[in-house]
Amino acid sequence: MDPAPATPRWNLERPYLTGRFHQVCSLPHTSSIPPRPPSPVPHALWQEAKAAAAAQAPGSKPFSLDSFSRSSGASTGSVIGSYAVSVQELLVIDDLLSALVGIEGRYISIKRVRGKEGYVVFQIDSSMDLALQELTRRIFPLCEDYVLVSQFVESRSHFKNGLVNHALAAALRAFLLDYQAMVAQLEHQFRLGRLSVQGLWFFCQRMMSSLNALAVLVEKATSNNTSGSATLNLLQSQAKAMGGDSAVRSLLEKMTEYASAAYLRMLERWVYEGVIDDPYGEFFIAENKSLQKESLTQDYDAKYWQQRYSLKEGIPSFLTNVAAMILTTGKYLNVMRECGHNFQVSLSENSKLMSFGSNHQYLECIKSAYDFASGELLTLMKDEGDFLVHFMDIAREELTKKPEEISAEKLQSLLDIALRSTAAASDPTHEELICCVERSSLLKKLATLKDLDCAYPADKLAAADVDQSMQLSITGLETFCLSNKVQWPLSLVISRKALTKYQLIFRLLFHCKHVSRQLCAAWQTQQVFRSVKILGTPILRSSILCRSMLKFVNSLLHYLTFEVLEPNWHLMHDRLQTARSIDEVIQIHDFFLQKCLKECLLLSPKLLVKVEKLKALCLQYATSIQLLMPSIDVANTENTSKSAKSRSRINKSQERHQQLKLASENVVMSESILKFEAAFNSELQSLAPTLSNSSHAEPYLTHLAQCILGVRIDQ
Amino acid sequence: MPREIITIQVGQCGNQIGMEFWKQLCLEHGIGKDGLLEDFATQGGDRKDVFFYQADDQHFIPRSLLIDLEPRVINGIQNSEYRNLYNHENIFVAEHGGGAGNNWASGYHQGEQVVDDIMDMVDREADGSDSLEGFVLCHSIAGGTGSGMGSYLLETLNDRYSKKLVQTYSVFPNQMETSDVVVQPYNSLLTLKRLTLNADCVVVLDNTALNRIAVERLHLSNPTFAQTNSLVSTVMSASTTTLRYPGYMNNDLVGLLASLIPTPRCHFLMTGYTPLTVERQVNMIRKTTVLDVMRRLLQTKNIMVSSYARTKEASQAKYISILNIIQGEVDPTQVHESLQRIRERKLVNFIDWAPASIQVALSRKSPYVQTTHRVSGLMLANHTSIRHLFSKCLGQYEKLRKKQAFLDNYRKFPMFADNDLSEFDESREIIESLVDEYKACESPDYIKWGMEDPGEANVAAALDSKLVV
Repeated sequence: MDPAPATPRWNLERPYLTGRFHQVCSLPHTSSIPPRPPSPVPHALWQEAKAAAAAQAPGSKPFSLDSFSRSSGASTGSVIGSYAVSVQELLVIDDLLSALVGIEGRYISIKRVRGKEGYVVFQIDSSMDLALQELTRRIFPLCEDYVLVSQFVESRSHFKNGLVNHALAAALRAFLLDYQAMVAQLEHQFRLGRLSVQGLWFFCQRMMSSLNALAVLVEKATSNNTSGSATLNLLQSQAKAMGGDSAVRSLLEKMTEYASAAYLRMLERWVYEGVIDDPYGEFFIAENKSLQKESLTQDYDAKYWQQRYSLKEGIPSFLTNVAAMILTTGKYLNVMRECGHNFQVSLSENSKLMSFGSNHQYLECIKSAYDFASGELLTLMKDEGDFLVHFMDIAREELTKKPEEISAEKLQSLLDIALRSTAAASDPTHEELICCVERSSLLKKLATLKDLDCAYPADKLAAADVDQSMQLSITGLETFCLSNKVQWPLSLVISRKALTKYQLIFRLLFHCKHVSRQLCAAWQTQQVFRSVKILGTPILRSSILCRSMLKFVNSLLHYLTFEVLEPNWHLMHDRLQTARSIDEVIQIHDFFLQKCLKECLLLSPKLLVKVEKLKALCLQYATSIQLLMPSIDVANTENTSKSAKSRSRINKSQERHQQLKLASENVVMSESILKFEAAFNSELQSLAPTLSNSSHAEPYLTHLAQCILGVRIDQ
Repeated sequence: MPREIITIQVGQCGNQIGMEFWKQLCLEHGIGKDGLLEDFATQGGDRKDVFFYQADDQHFIPRSLLIDLEPRVINGIQNSEYRNLYNHENIFVAEHGGGAGNNWASGYHQGEQVVDDIMDMVDREADGSDSLEGFVLCHSIAGGTGSGMGSYLLETLNDRYSKKLVQTYSVFPNQMETSDVVVQPYNSLLTLKRLTLNADCVVVLDNTALNRIAVERLHLSNPTFAQTNSLVSTVMSASTTTLRYPGYMNNDLVGLLASLIPTPRCHFLMTGYTPLTVERQVNMIRKTTVLDVMRRLLQTKNIMVSSYARTKEASQAKYISILNIIQGEVDPTQVHESLQRIRERKLVNFIDWAPASIQVALSRKSPYVQTTHRVSGLMLANHTSIRHLFSKCLGQYEKLRKKQAFLDNYRKFPMFADNDLSEFDESREIIESLVDEYKACESPDYIKWGMEDPGEANVAAALDSKLVV
């Protein structure tokens, strides 16, 4: 909100614009007694009063904020006490009528209260008849209240005070108009000679309590300098406090109604259109314009949804209960507007406020969109097994390069090919898939994402160890991950953060899959040994080790997919069906992701490090087997092709048989196999106690333990 | 499309079960009899291109080769309503049409002569696939064509496509009744050698057990070939579901087999399927649960290989590995519970020398085939008791060989010319060693079996003992 602009100099320098001109220039006029209509007041009295007034001139002045302090009408002129009581009464009524509209009279003076801004006290000439004095004093509060209120009206009409204050000031002004009309009528009565001080006192009775209530209100408003919802709250509490006086209460309620009209218009726009139209910052919902929706897809810590719109302090008390609802309602509408949806909340139907249920249609809309998209990601993971195999085939070469050398563009095109040629092709949104290559290993990445509420920093040392060894050999296979172009408004739910979590899970799965495939390849190379009796040879041990490794990786995969992802996904899916708001959806989704991450071991670094080590071992084994075996193979074929071209097929195969037999007893191989075996077994063994220990705290680990270690854990 | 598999069906039996297999696949993928996609089959999500490819007019063609030395069965197929399904270039029938006369040697010899034609077809199919995963051979081991020519093809495939997998669905003869093929033991033995040496995986379909299942489980007093063949096609299609419907795991043949076959030679798999139904038999519907299915799969009466083991031997028999493919609407948590139950009750006797457990693959059911049961399951198991089947074959061979019966038929062909019967002896030796290896698997010392270096073995033993159950 802009601060109120300063009043320009020219405005101050021209008194006729400020109103001072009027005050200054009109002084002589007001001091002279205006011609009055013939009055039925006894003429003699009038004459006397006139004479007294003439004697006192030019003491009377209109009271104004700027000038009243200077005035001291009582200091000059004749003493009222010198007149007869009946004359005194006429004089004092005349003065009182002025005082009622805040103008000093000849015998009634206005004093500013020291220390209290804007407060005034009316004083009466002490020489007056005591009874008259007393009566007059009783009427003074009304005058004081009037001054207070009118002063408030004037000051709050400044445009910097906000719509609510403007509205209140307008309402008060209307009220004061009534009051002034009353005073005018009283004056008329006075001119007709029908008004005594008692009569005046009587007529003022009703006004007195109303104006007093308003004055109290104004006093509080001024002292707290309220604006916006605070003013509304004050009005409400005052109305409540005045519960006993029904007339006053209804007056205050009326004031509240007027004052809140503007506010409610704001609310209406927000609730029905999702627009904040709040030039003075009075509304209880704040918009943080610096948060752009684009940040959702880029920034890991994007807080668009949470913080773009927020509740401020000072919610009008009558809206406290529904404030959150109002916030979300507008938020949804806002999102919808951002999506370019045309929505029509028919105002005729729910012409007034408090009907916040008009968003169901929208909710449905965003929910279905969300369902679709999140389902997308998951089916993606499901289908991944399918197309990834193909993708790995074609992208193998590219992926084995160092991450720095991998060209994302080439991968993307390969990925597209893989996607198109597999079952995933039936997915309508597979085009939104993009791939990216992370620069760091999984463990390292995890360590950097500290807000996953786990103790990574503490275990950083352990992780760093592994990292050091892995950093050198890190290839695209470890760092490849998929990403999904998330369109607004889905990005609300699947923000960058959620996507990162998906990617973490994906990378784990992808790597497991890779290890599993490598082991399968190793297995296949060993299949050639079926023509040799391998009992008692290293090949047998190797086969069995290969089987153990395969079992480990497959069990891990099985656990990750069927025991973690699949059930959790179904759970989330079911809960989403019943979700009623986008916030609920986000919450469910976040819960799902967090649970998956946790159960996928990604949040327990100790275990993850061990599992990674095991996988690394499996990979090393698979690679070395695939290196060693074909070398034997090649040697064979070369031999046979050179020496046995003319020989018969049977001879050829016999020779091959011999070669294989020799190979199976190869010392180099047998040593390395034994080495791998020992390493793998000891590593697996050390995993067992860790798993079973933690499984007491985390029941899901028992599943994993049973999967990976088979029966052993039960016994 | 990745991971294509080429099916080769050889001989009378091979073509018959192959035919049933393709019928089943067409049903499951919503492919009509002429290869065109049915109107209702719009739901994607399956992988048709593992087993089919599309012609220019969009009709699906099986990646299949139909090979026989006599025209009868293939003519039958060509006159059936499925005649337009196959690629006619992929059908090979010997010109003379005389068959192999139930003689392995004849089939093998004829195979040698026509191998170029057949390999042309294979090469063409292989070139038509992006990344060929392997071959599936359907045949029987008792007759002449399937066993003899099949054997030759196995050797050739192994030679030419050494990097590809070869899986066979081999029908073993009914050994309970006297066969009309008297030389069946010879044929079986010679084929078994090739199955041992040249195949990566053999799914054993034992006619004896198939008949027994048809009689006992399906209450058919006199099961027809068509009925037993439908059992076979059920098994074949079920064992390929994970390849045809994408899932998290087991989506390629090599992954499927690698987990089942620990050592190169022990690659003979048994199958079991439940609940079994034959057409027009709806009165046997029961409630199926995952646990129920998994338990039934472990019962010997549901296993499609007869056990010839004597009681004492049977108690020593052990599972090397088990893969259960569960189809239907299954909650993964049920799987876990069922596995735990089975473990608690010790229903499975696993080998001692390596960690082992039942692996479960969950697979979708075809949306186009209405099944009466909610859950159905196929078990692929590597079980040591299969050695008794081989022993039985060996025993029958020994009996016949002792009598020197019918050997003249074989001597007519080059391999056995000049009374050179070394092929028989060699085959026998290999089968014996196979039986020995399976027997060794039953022992907890399998890994150290025959280790020369005692020191090394001890180190290994020390390591293993910590790991062993």
